[in-house]
Amino acid sequence: MTSTLRPVPMDAFPTPTSASQAETEKVLLEHLPAEDKADPTLQKNAHMQFLIRNLVQGFPARYTSQDASQAWLIYWTLQAFSVLQVGLDPGNKQKAVDTIMAWQHPDGGFGGGPRQAAHLLPTYAAVCALAIVGSPGEGGGWDQINRKKMYNFFMSLKQSDGSFLVAHHAEVDVRGIYCLLVTATLLDIITPELVDGTAAFVASLQTYEGGFSSASQPYYAPASAPNALPTLLETPRPPLGEAHGGYTFCALASWVILQPFLPSASSPSQPKINKNSLLRWLVQMQGARVELGGFKGRTNKLVDGCYSWWVGGAFALLESIGISPVALPASPEKGPEGKDADWDDIDDALFNRKALQEYVLYAGQHPAGGLRDKPPKHADAYHTLYCLAGLSSAQHKVSPSPTRRKELLDSWKDADSTTNEFRKRIFTDALCYTEEEGTEKIVGGAANRVNATHPVFNLTITHTEGIMAHFYKQTVPPRIFKSAATAKT
Amino acid sequence: MIPVPAPVLYAARDEWKDVVPITQYEKANPLAPILYSEEYKDATDYFRGIVQAGEKSERVLQLTEHVIRLNPAHYSAWQYRYETLLALQSPLDAEVALMDELADKYLKTYQVWHHRRLLLIRAGLPGAPAELAFIAKILQQDEKNYHTWAHRQWVLAFFNDDELWAGELDFVDMMMNKDVRNNSVWHHRFFLVFQAGVREGEEDRERIVRREIIYAKQNISLAPNNASAWNYLRGVLEFNKLPLSTVGPFIRPYTVSLADPVDDGIDLENPGPGRGAELPCAAAVEFLADVYEEEGKASVSKAVELWKSLAEEHDTIRKKYWEYRIQQALVRT
Repeated sequence: MTSTLRPVPMDAFPTPTSASQAETEKVLLEHLPAEDKADPTLQKNAHMQFLIRNLVQGFPARYTSQDASQAWLIYWTLQAFSVLQVGLDPGNKQKAVDTIMAWQHPDGGFGGGPRQAAHLLPTYAAVCALAIVGSPGEGGGWDQINRKKMYNFFMSLKQSDGSFLVAHHAEVDVRGIYCLLVTATLLDIITPELVDGTAAFVASLQTYEGGFSSASQPYYAPASAPNALPTLLETPRPPLGEAHGGYTFCALASWVILQPFLPSASSPSQPKINKNSLLRWLVQMQGARVELGGFKGRTNKLVDGCYSWWVGGAFALLESIGISPVALPASPEKGPEGKDADWDDIDDALFNRKALQEYVLYAGQHPAGGLRDKPPKHADAYHTLYCLAGLSSAQHKVSPSPTRRKELLDSWKDADSTTNEFRKRIFTDALCYTEEEGTEKIVGGAANRVNATHPVFNLTITHTEGIMAHFYKQTVPPRIFKSAATAKT
Repeated sequence: MIPVPAPVLYAARDEWKDVVPITQYEKANPLAPILYSEEYKDATDYFRGIVQAGEKSERVLQLTEHVIRLNPAHYSAWQYRYETLLALQSPLDAEVALMDELADKYLKTYQVWHHRRLLLIRAGLPGAPAELAFIAKILQQDEKNYHTWAHRQWVLAFFNDDELWAGELDFVDMMMNKDVRNNSVWHHRFFLVFQAGVREGEEDRERIVRREIIYAKQNISLAPNNASAWNYLRGVLEFNKLPLSTVGPFIRPYTVSLADPVDDGIDLENPGPGRGAELPCAAAVEFLADVYEEEGKASVSKAVELWKSLAEEHDTIRKKYWEYRIQQALVRT
């Protein structure tokens, strides 16, 4: 197999990019075992040990650079446990909740650590971590989140082009918008007022390549009257920075969350994205066989395990915006599951699910536990989660299910609120994701299976249901068929 | 190596005696603690102390600088530093000089770039030319740094001044000569030419579009398997609502294997693949298939053949996508 792998063609025209590319291919190929070797194994135990060590003994001093991201360290670790189908014991759960609640800012939102300024990114991480370990009632965390103040904090960051600063005096960045939208969705504080203009901002981030950038620059026409506000121009509104995997995921997931708030498709003010160029860009990010099929984050950059999630995971969002292969007649079962021959017949994914799993298994795993960008790098908490979540998105096909949506709608109970229609739509949009039976594909066999994760939130579906049912005051109907999308924890 | 003396902790300094340090976790015994150095623990204890007291003074500038040097991603220290600068009405030039050093050292953190932006907004247009020069210097060390490129685009868009823009296409050429595969440079060019308004001397858009198409073609000719150049060519056509077939004659030689070196009858409009070219080039095959699909009718079957060749031979990793394209094209016809 190795002998047939063609290097990425460089046309006998060397540049710094081709040099680092060639170097990376060489290293990656060393991690591709011979054809006759046994199937790759996900070293669950080693990764668990890595995570537990960080959680209990603490992070080594080099993590000081993440002192303002303590919320992320805990979220990455807890969600990695969830993907590995493991839950914390009650003692450590309580300790986690107490730690997280020490980061809540007195004026709303969460900081990256105690007494740090509130910031959208750690707010997402803290709330998602609470979705995993928190519970209702005193000391459980959920009811100690000050949602009113959080909403005010969000509104205080809002800009006239529909974007948000990530913190006071800080930058605009679509990661922050994704974090705000997820948090507001989970906690039932998303409103038309909050997201007014946000979809148009997100659309403005799409570059000519099809992926999305971090932010865009607004231009305004001068105010027409002394007391009027300047008007935002539709063009120019240039994206700042090139198309990028992390920003593209955040933009696309934001776009999906914002669907209920978009004006009707026929409205001239309907912001639009180019779905075809987005899809093209996403598939172009998958590295060639010689790169073991991992994903890169930008054109002409190197593959990196974290894009297994940011780009690989983005494919699961495409169906929500109307991109999906036409259903083909089901092909009859052919032989045992997991053999190469069957993959192509039954798998209607738009990327190479098998190759992505191979990248994570062969190149992403550090021999001493934890996962990484690529060899010979160290493992870290961030790459451990996003490699595992990417592996999960390649194993499972989770998509919105009309059946599940109907069940949720049927069991919906209106609250004493004028925004019931919006709330109902948000709730059902978020929770209708299901794994189709028979679509699970696991390289290396069942022992390598990890949990499915929600394509918008990167929480298990069980954890998403738990926290949303609480804040929307709903009872989520049980899932009728045995779904692998339901976490076992 | 000369041993670095341990810094004197704030806790041991007379001039900080009046500040009450605040430990990070007052109650909780935290899960997943970071094992900080004494120096970091001490500095951040005092930082929490002055934030609690609401102090905004010269020594706060020293303290926040210290915290930032130990952890440049400490956004709260940056935020508080900025508020302190405003409160003290500190001179900008000293701060800019410090930032030149810090941006150089910590160029991968968001905060160093954003802090520069805040300073520049206060300095106004007179500060912008020096900023472009500084960014150019940083980009020599890290040619694809996302923040740095985004910051450059912000400077240009925010000040929106023709004189400031005058050297940009030359800058692109200089960076492109270093690495024609640097996608950040291609994006910058697209930003300059198409996305942030029309500059003086570029009002004749037809001429500009023609210039950009030739620019992309020439660079493809140098290194045909360069995704950045193909994406740019597509981008220019799509943005200007031109059919992909505009460049049909150019693409064809790139879609077939090269048995013999090209007949060097130089066609400036359609430069052919250079000597080292590895052909057929998957991006060209894809492009030609799109041209056929755009033509519609009988040509769709030609597109299907090309997609099949990508799925089976030239670009097998994306097999599912090429099959999807076939399926979609057939559904439409």
